[in-house]
Amino acid sequence: MLNDHLTVLPILIPLTGAMITLMLRQTRRLQAAFALGSILMSLTVSAWLTAEVWQGGQPIVFHSGGWSPPFGITLVGDLLSAVFVLMSQLVLTTGIIYAIGSKDAVVKYPTFYPLFLMLAASLTGAILTGDLFNMYVFAELMVISGTVLTAVSDDRYGTEAAYKYFYISLTASFFMLFAIGSLYVCYGTLNMADLAKRIPIDGGQPLLLPGIGFLMATFMVKSAVFPFHFWQPDFHTAAPTSVSAMLSSVVVKLGVYGFLRMTTLLFVLQAPVIRWILVVLGVAGVIFGGLSAVGTHNAKRMLAYSTLAQIGFILIGIGWGTPLAIAAMLMLAGYVASRAPVKSAAFDVVTGVGKSIPAAGVLFLIGSLGLAGIPPTNGFISKMMLFHSGIDAADFGALLLMAIGSLLTLVYTNRAFIRIWWQRPPGSTGAKPTGDHLLAPAILILLVLILGLWAEPLVQVARETSLWLDSPGLYVQAVLGR
Amino acid sequence: MELILAIGIGSLFATGIFQLLRRNIIRSAIGLVILMNAVNLFLLCTGAYVGSEPAYISSASGFRSDALPQALILTAIVISMGGTAFVLSMLYIISSRYKTSDLDEVDGLKN
Repeated sequence: MLNDHLTVLPILIPLTGAMITLMLRQTRRLQAAFALGSILMSLTVSAWLTAEVWQGGQPIVFHSGGWSPPFGITLVGDLLSAVFVLMSQLVLTTGIIYAIGSKDAVVKYPTFYPLFLMLAASLTGAILTGDLFNMYVFAELMVISGTVLTAVSDDRYGTEAAYKYFYISLTASFFMLFAIGSLYVCYGTLNMADLAKRIPIDGGQPLLLPGIGFLMATFMVKSAVFPFHFWQPDFHTAAPTSVSAMLSSVVVKLGVYGFLRMTTLLFVLQAPVIRWILVVLGVAGVIFGGLSAVGTHNAKRMLAYSTLAQIGFILIGIGWGTPLAIAAMLMLAGYVASRAPVKSAAFDVVTGVGKSIPAAGVLFLIGSLGLAGIPPTNGFISKMMLFHSGIDAADFGALLLMAIGSLLTLVYTNRAFIRIWWQRPPGSTGAKPTGDHLLAPAILILLVLILGLWAEPLVQVARETSLWLDSPGLYVQAVLGR
Repeated sequence: MELILAIGIGSLFATGIFQLLRRNIIRSAIGLVILMNAVNLFLLCTGAYVGSEPAYISSASGFRSDALPQALILTAIVISMGGTAFVLSMLYIISSRYKTSDLDEVDGLKN
């Protein structure tokens, strides 16, 4: 069946692309063109996958190697994973477009594009896989490619930030292995559908709770949830712009995806407690991230803290959040930094740089509206759904804190806008005549606007996905076939 | 046997975490390696050594060990080896750039 292979192709195409671009490292233009081609191809395939899942109303399952269900590695494309893959491939595509138009020295590094494609392949793989250990392998691949991309950054402190991050995430990977071992010794399987079937039957296993705890700690480190966030601002600030946009918007979503799978598939009985912990930490993250973002002196660092707050919003309401807007904002901050007299996104340096680049200012303003959730953008739609569900649950304390968090978003993004585009530059130094290309953030902002004005499909997909999530039996049945 | 392994894994884990939190970067890298071995031993405990028969022999008699944890450990070892090599190379770059092995003096990101 060709349909089954739709779940493999979004992983296989960037992986193959990574190998081929590695061979093409002598001719840089060909390499970049090939990288763009392969990411566009896998974007097309993931759109096809999403359409196929949406129309079929049935998860698409691929049993690798033809092994019967619980034994081999299965790749599962249900609506949740398909939409996550589509969203990440979209942002990754714009990341490659930004890198092609970028003036950074790092994009001339011969293994930049291979590593970038490897990041795409591993992120897609970790989302599509239906096997816990396979997820660990893909997550590790993702961590290593992200770390190398940061270590070679133009920023002087790239290596230091990468070292810090790698330590934390290697420890988190050990936690994940512990969780895998605990669950395996309890239930004798690592297939997520099989686990979902067995855990409710035999919930009293002694190592089940440690397994859940370790798995939660892993995902919290991966998505930088509030008390595990300390590595994140450093790491995301030091990364090259095109990479940091990916890290802040889609790579951290792997943890969110993991939480969704935990609460709706694996540990349905324990889900209320898990969700309660996530809401508390999410609210703390919204407030802490917002306040820290207000207090920073660097545009990129401000957006890294903003990521922390956005993750908080997502954890409270388990929604999409605003990956498009945050990626666009980071690219714009990088664009401004590339036009600044000294290559830096510190507010002292970029004050007034925007005077000669009004187009970027318009995009930045729309992006900040998207982040804060103001009407003509898709951020408004997702925030409205979030508040609706909060009102339905009569959780007014969390609602109030969320509203404060949204206001903080508006405060710090607009402060940055005013400093960069409205204030006079301190000296006579204006913007440099050339810089990075504006195409990639423009595409993202356009999507933010389109999805805000024509929100019906987005709302429909979100509603349908939550219906799918409420019936984990569908997933289990599709994988195990009975 | 179980008790010995449990005590062994526990002490390895404790040593690993303790070393990981040291300020010396070489020691913390060693802590990472110890931690990795603790995790691998833990995976081994999930049933890789209980059997008395080899896994892939057609004779039906006897109790066989589970082959999957061994495969998991093999994968985990390979991945952690790559990770350790990468950590050591970054450690080399950082210690030669800052001319120190004390993590408190590696503070370029603070400002």
